[in-house]
Amino acid sequence: MDQLKLTRRQMLRMMLAGGSVAALAACGTAPAATTTPTDEPAAPAAATGAPAQVSQTGSTVTITYWGSFSGNLGEAEQAMVQRFNESQNDIVVDYQFQGSYEETAQKYTAGLQANTIPDLILLSDVWWFGFYVAGAISELDGLAQQAGLDFSDYEPVLLNEGNRQGKQFWIPFARSTPLFYYNKDLWAEAGLPDRAPETWAEFGEWAPQLIQREGNTLRRSAFVHPDGASYIAWLFQGVTWQHGGKYSNDDFTMTMTDPNTIRAAQFYQDTVRDLGWATLGQDINRDFLGGAAAAMMASTGSLAGLTTNATFPVGVGFLPKEANFGCCTGGAGLAIPNGIPDEKKLAAMTYLAFATNPEQAGIWARNTGYMPVRISTKQTPDMVAFFEENPNFKTAVDQLPLTRAQDAARVFVRNGDQIIGKGLERIIVNGEVPSTVFADIDAELTKAAQPILEDLREVEG
Amino acid sequence: MALSEEITLTRTLETSWRTPRLWRFAGYLAMLATVIVIGLPVYWTVSAAFKTTGEIYRIPVTWFPAEPTLANFPQAWNAAPFERYYLNSFITTLGGMAAEVTLAIMSAYALAFLRFPRKQLVFLLLLAALMIPVEITIVPNYLTVARLGWINTYAGIIIPGAAIAYGTFLLRQAFLSLPYEVIEAARVDGAGHLRIMFNVVMPMAQPAIVTMALLSMVAKWNDFLWPLIVTNTTNMRTLPIGIFWLRNSEGLINWGVIMAGSLFLIIPVLIVFLMVQRYIVDGIAAGAVKG
Amino acid sequence: MRERREWLLFALLIGPNLFLFGVFTYWPLLYNFYLSFVSWNFLRPRKRFVWFENYLDVFSQPQFWTIVWNTVIFALFSVGLTLLIGLALALLLNQPLRYRNGARAVLFSPVIMSGAVVAVVWSYIFDPRYGLIDQLLGLIGLNSPNWLGDPAWAMPAVIMVYVWKNLGYAVVIYLAGLQGIPRELYDAARVDGAGPWDRFWHVTLPGLSPVAFFLSVTSILATFQAFDIIKVLTNGGPVIATTTLIFHLYDLGFVSYNAGEAGVIAIVLFAIMLILTIIQLRYLEQRVAYS
Repeated sequence: MDQLKLTRRQMLRMMLAGGSVAALAACGTAPAATTTPTDEPAAPAAATGAPAQVSQTGSTVTITYWGSFSGNLGEAEQAMVQRFNESQNDIVVDYQFQGSYEETAQKYTAGLQANTIPDLILLSDVWWFGFYVAGAISELDGLAQQAGLDFSDYEPVLLNEGNRQGKQFWIPFARSTPLFYYNKDLWAEAGLPDRAPETWAEFGEWAPQLIQREGNTLRRSAFVHPDGASYIAWLFQGVTWQHGGKYSNDDFTMTMTDPNTIRAAQFYQDTVRDLGWATLGQDINRDFLGGAAAAMMASTGSLAGLTTNATFPVGVGFLPKEANFGCCTGGAGLAIPNGIPDEKKLAAMTYLAFATNPEQAGIWARNTGYMPVRISTKQTPDMVAFFEENPNFKTAVDQLPLTRAQDAARVFVRNGDQIIGKGLERIIVNGEVPSTVFADIDAELTKAAQPILEDLREVEG
Repeated sequence: MALSEEITLTRTLETSWRTPRLWRFAGYLAMLATVIVIGLPVYWTVSAAFKTTGEIYRIPVTWFPAEPTLANFPQAWNAAPFERYYLNSFITTLGGMAAEVTLAIMSAYALAFLRFPRKQLVFLLLLAALMIPVEITIVPNYLTVARLGWINTYAGIIIPGAAIAYGTFLLRQAFLSLPYEVIEAARVDGAGHLRIMFNVVMPMAQPAIVTMALLSMVAKWNDFLWPLIVTNTTNMRTLPIGIFWLRNSEGLINWGVIMAGSLFLIIPVLIVFLMVQRYIVDGIAAGAVKG
Repeated sequence: MRERREWLLFALLIGPNLFLFGVFTYWPLLYNFYLSFVSWNFLRPRKRFVWFENYLDVFSQPQFWTIVWNTVIFALFSVGLTLLIGLALALLLNQPLRYRNGARAVLFSPVIMSGAVVAVVWSYIFDPRYGLIDQLLGLIGLNSPNWLGDPAWAMPAVIMVYVWKNLGYAVVIYLAGLQGIPRELYDAARVDGAGPWDRFWHVTLPGLSPVAFFLSVTSILATFQAFDIIKVLTNGGPVIATTTLIFHLYDLGFVSYNAGEAGVIAIVLFAIMLILTIIQLRYLEQRVAYS
């Protein structure tokens, strides 16, 4: 019985503890009950880790900015917000990390229904269009004019991607392109010239010298493709263009069965199966850094990380050509939600103009490895000096004017990227006939595009 | 007093077992094999926290850090306000766990010992909650929580997940397998249901209750998606989101820092596990025998 | 009168739990049921009612049945292996062996580790060229299969990781269950001259049956909803070799923004789980030995 009483007391204590936590939870509720991200400055200093001591004058506008940057990119983003907050006294930007691109988009979707939306949002290449079609993001031309922002200095390829019917909805910010990366040590070992291959045919000649076999196992491949989950459809897009094909036309008619698109797929299959010098890997960066693959195509965003962590000198070059040169853009841009007060929209635009001005675009590019989105950034002294130190980065920037906006099938069709990626896995992993697979994929994409086309007709007429 | 009794009991058990040497040896061998097979990936995670990211990307894998470094820990710690994340995680985990344990004990007692028409159906209704994927609840619950004004609050993190089905089920099983005579005896003594619940059932079912509390704690502590969706600002975020923050959003993943950060998450729970496991495995012997 | 009071107490005890489930779990299910009959992308202001079109669309996709099959295989093997190996390990770690507390902690630690960390560790172990498994197989002159890159091997790999990660759960619950078996039963059996094997069959197994029943029901429900590991380890691939219903649901709902078809999958998933659970309640619970 002695023991039982003790237990009862323990239990009481436990209940009390539970109660106090409940009370705490209730405390959490009270001040925040009226809080939505749109109307309350949620302790920006604590939130961004920045000692943003802005004098709270009556006219200060606080805007909430939802983004997906974490790690070193997140730090670079916070630093930029801090510079902005310190540069003026009218607007306070509160940067809040919302998870990956996907999670940010999901959250914005939920927020739209609950009316808890931010004032500025980062959307990736595959997400902004859906929100545009839904009328959830603002047209920016008028706001830009009010903020005194002129679009003519932006890299046209990047800017035009966010333009529909002559109106701007999405401003390039953290944009990347694919690059050809190679392991200079292995290149030298094989006696190859210290440059990326000009054409795939040339690389086909080099590849046998780069591989290393042990029995049936390819211990080192000449080239590694990512799998569907790590966006093979993004990198393959450029390859289809090089072969004279493409995923789709601008009007959403699919061109997966175009002979040239199929030829590109056949080429990919051959590299792995017939020619046997390439592999398909879950983590291409690891294979490349570990020396299990001599070369790869990967985002310019990986340049800094690869260079620091590699035990060998990393070489980069333009993508190889086939019939043509072909290289797509990627990454994320900024949009301003609809349905927030004009005052906030203008404040968001002011920040957007700051974040993409020639000087800030340069700082951002140097800190992150993303492309400078402004043309004049390339001529700033800091950038010129940076290019001298990092010739690889200059290669990436030099390739930028040659890039092209992505095909609708990948970026505007919901899940288009994964639909194409799974198709490529069928071709490469299962060894299925490319024309059959792409006929299936064509049909699947066409079906997936239907609802978007319907909505688009409503929005654009 | 109870303690000394318990010790003598285990002691007699162990000696009376009189395990032959060979069996004992086989037991240790099996334990060693288990620890190696299960523990190797765990060891790798821990050792990776002491490696540079470059080394983690090296092929083949290095099993001992080539150049051991402690730099990942301060780097992880300084990358985000982890003090705040710990506080938030403690509050939401304790709050969620307390709610779940309380609700589970109440519900399980009702299901095990009280009469109610169509009780089996009520039980199935509770179990049905285990059949609804979290994924489909996120959007509707976000809307509900927004309507309640709980976005970005502790209540918003805790309350939607406070109801408990698996814990109720686990405790129902434990309560049902308690020796019925003891409960009957208490009833004959004139004890009401609440008294039986607190003074008889709960002490006897201690291993199950502690187990349930532990599992509930792990679930709350590791919960990622819902706290991410329902909070907007850094000062309301929990540890798993902090670990996610350490991850580069594009380019190379800085695994060294992430592994260090994931130890922030793992270690407190392991400590709790080590502390409470004796209540799960050794605590009841005395109580059950005493009856 | 007394019965009425008991009913009332029952309702009071179980009410809060059910109320919370009502708001945050059953309501989303109902809402989802409604969504399965509309065409909606989560963004459009208007939902179009389409009757059974979503159902027809989902069922007519050739990959749907592959996905159902994947789900069944994954659940069957994961649950079977977890329950059997878990039982063996629980029995082992219930022996009076030294260091068993440490061994239990090692076994439990994968439960706490985050999915993303687990995935990177295992991707090194599975690497066909440099991974640990390849190195071990190399000792006996075999080559490692391309675990995560070969459709035939990806599912076994995912099951392996899932079992590894969840064994700790099962072991902890079994251990708690083992404590609930009164020692007198063992003593009585020994007096009757029963050997270790007889004691296992006639005392341990029946004594564990309430907990084993709990584990079998909840493990099946959990594996049907296992998402994290698949997401980070294979993303449902290669092609759709490891795509399960819950993964398909995620793809349709959160990637394709097809609320209707995701709703259909959720309903299908719910129906399968409900039927399995009812079967288990009907036929399995009769064999459970409650006191």
